[in-house]
Amino acid sequence: MHSVYSFVTGPMVWVAFGVFVAGCLFRLVVLLSQVSRKEPFIFSYMNLKWSLRSIGHWIVPFATVNWRRHPVLTVVTFVFHICLFLVPIFLLSHIVLVDEAWSISWAALPDGLADALTLTVIACCLFFLVRRIRSPEVKFVTYPSDYVILAIVAAPFVTGFLAYHQWFGYPVMFILHVIAGEIMLIAIPFTRLSHMLFAVFTRAYMGSEFGGVRKAKDW
Amino acid sequence: MKKAAVSLILILAGCALLMAAAAAQEDMVVVDPGPFENPQRPPSTFRHEEHNLAADIWECNVCHHVYDEEGNLLDDESSEDMRCVDCHFLEDTGTQPGLMKAFHLNCKGCHIKEAKGPVMCGECHRWRQPAADGPGAG
Ligand code: HEC
Ligand code: HEC
Ligand code: HEC
Ligand code: HEC
Repeated sequence: MHSVYSFVTGPMVWVAFGVFVAGCLFRLVVLLSQVSRKEPFIFSYMNLKWSLRSIGHWIVPFATVNWRRHPVLTVVTFVFHICLFLVPIFLLSHIVLVDEAWSISWAALPDGLADALTLTVIACCLFFLVRRIRSPEVKFVTYPSDYVILAIVAAPFVTGFLAYHQWFGYPVMFILHVIAGEIMLIAIPFTRLSHMLFAVFTRAYMGSEFGGVRKAKDW
Repeated sequence: MKKAAVSLILILAGCALLMAAAAAQEDMVVVDPGPFENPQRPPSTFRHEEHNLAADIWECNVCHHVYDEEGNLLDDESSEDMRCVDCHFLEDTGTQPGLMKAFHLNCKGCHIKEAKGPVMCGECHRWRQPAADGPGAG
């Protein structure tokens, strides 16, 4: 178990973060170079004001028609994304490990609160799953890969929750949790999880086109 | 006569203290989390005597260490009459690790180096302490 522990919490962490960062840069460079090769005119109407206006509306719950049309989905989506980032970044045990490795630390969530937020993320994932299965208009655009992506996102939270409570075989669950987190990091640049990078650009582009060209709102 | 009585009492008191201390470390099953303001985890398993026997540690100052003014470790001195918290504050101070980090670097550091003993959070911070039957597997 020691060699497995040392491997997944040592070299594998570097590999995961390395692939994540390099992959993200690669995807962004490819995107920009493709746009400038195929449709360079897009740059001519990209506009900071319209971009920010669009992004501003879409990051505020209920600020767009689409958000208002699906209130439950909107709330779940926002809660999900907030917890998705809050929990891993401000989790005590993650900060403890970073502090031991590099003597860098920051404020942590109390474990009890982090536990509740973790359950929230898991509940949101279940909501997305049920919605995919039950709602015809979503099912229609669902690929098998969508379920895989959902599983990749849910896995670190489910295993983290079980490991924290030391249910079902502790050391193995700890290792699975670390691996699940690394898989998620590696998956971000190469799957639809890359919307983490591209959402801003998509909105900036849509906002500029609607604002500057079509003189309309994109929300 | 009076003098002899006083010294006898002092000696007895000294022995009692020593035995109390010895009993205390022999009875120790977890590290006391008292110094922490708002402990988040169950206290770490640590059966002082069994642990050091099983781990084959004979120098007390592997853990109960003493440093000189310049920050050099003193090989032939030890500080088992003090608690870690007497020197290690809750926060890091310069190169001296804060209390939690002092425990983690000391305990986990050795376990990693020797590839023996617990290294994952829940192997030390157990919600359900194992039955009182000697040191379990790491
Ligand atoms: C593996 C590390 C380690 C070694 C080796 C070790 N100790 Fe300790 N000892 C501890 C820790 C940790 C504590 C708890 C300190 C605290 O709470 O601040 C402790 C506490 C004690 C206490 C106080 C007990 C109490 O209940 O307050 C005594 C006395 C003590 N040790 C004696 C010794 C002696 C004597 C030796 C050498 C034979 C020794 N220790 C070796 C880790 C160690
Ligand atoms: C008499 C004061 C004193 C006591 C008691 C003490 N320490 Fe320390 N410790 C120090 C000092 C001073 C340093 C910092 C040396 C430096 O600045 O590099 C230090 C450094 C450390 C370090 C980092 C260096 C290393 O050895 O890896 C660890 C870990 C540590 N202490 C753990 C402990 C633990 C665990 C206990 C209790 C069992 C303890 N200390 C008790 C004074 C003390
Ligand atoms: C100098 C090395 C060293 C230090 C320091 C050390 N350990 Fe250990 N520990 C070991 C070794 C070696 C084993 C495995 C012993 C065996 O083979 O069972 C072990 C085993 C353990 C175990 C599993 C056995 C048991 O007693 O249940 C626990 C728990 C443990 N250590 C806790 C601690 C804690 C807590 C500290 C810090 C206060 C600590 N150790 C400091 C070397 C060390
Ligand atoms: C080798 C045993 C060991 C391991 C592994 C270990 N700890 Fe600890 N930890 C201790 C000891 C000893 C203390 C001192 C306080 C106590 O447990 O009584 C401590 C203290 C703490 C504290 C401060 C007291 C509290 O409960 O708030 C936190 C937080 C903590 N550990 C979290 C973690 C996390 C998170 C991990 C895994 C990343 C971890 N520990 C791994 C032994 C360990």
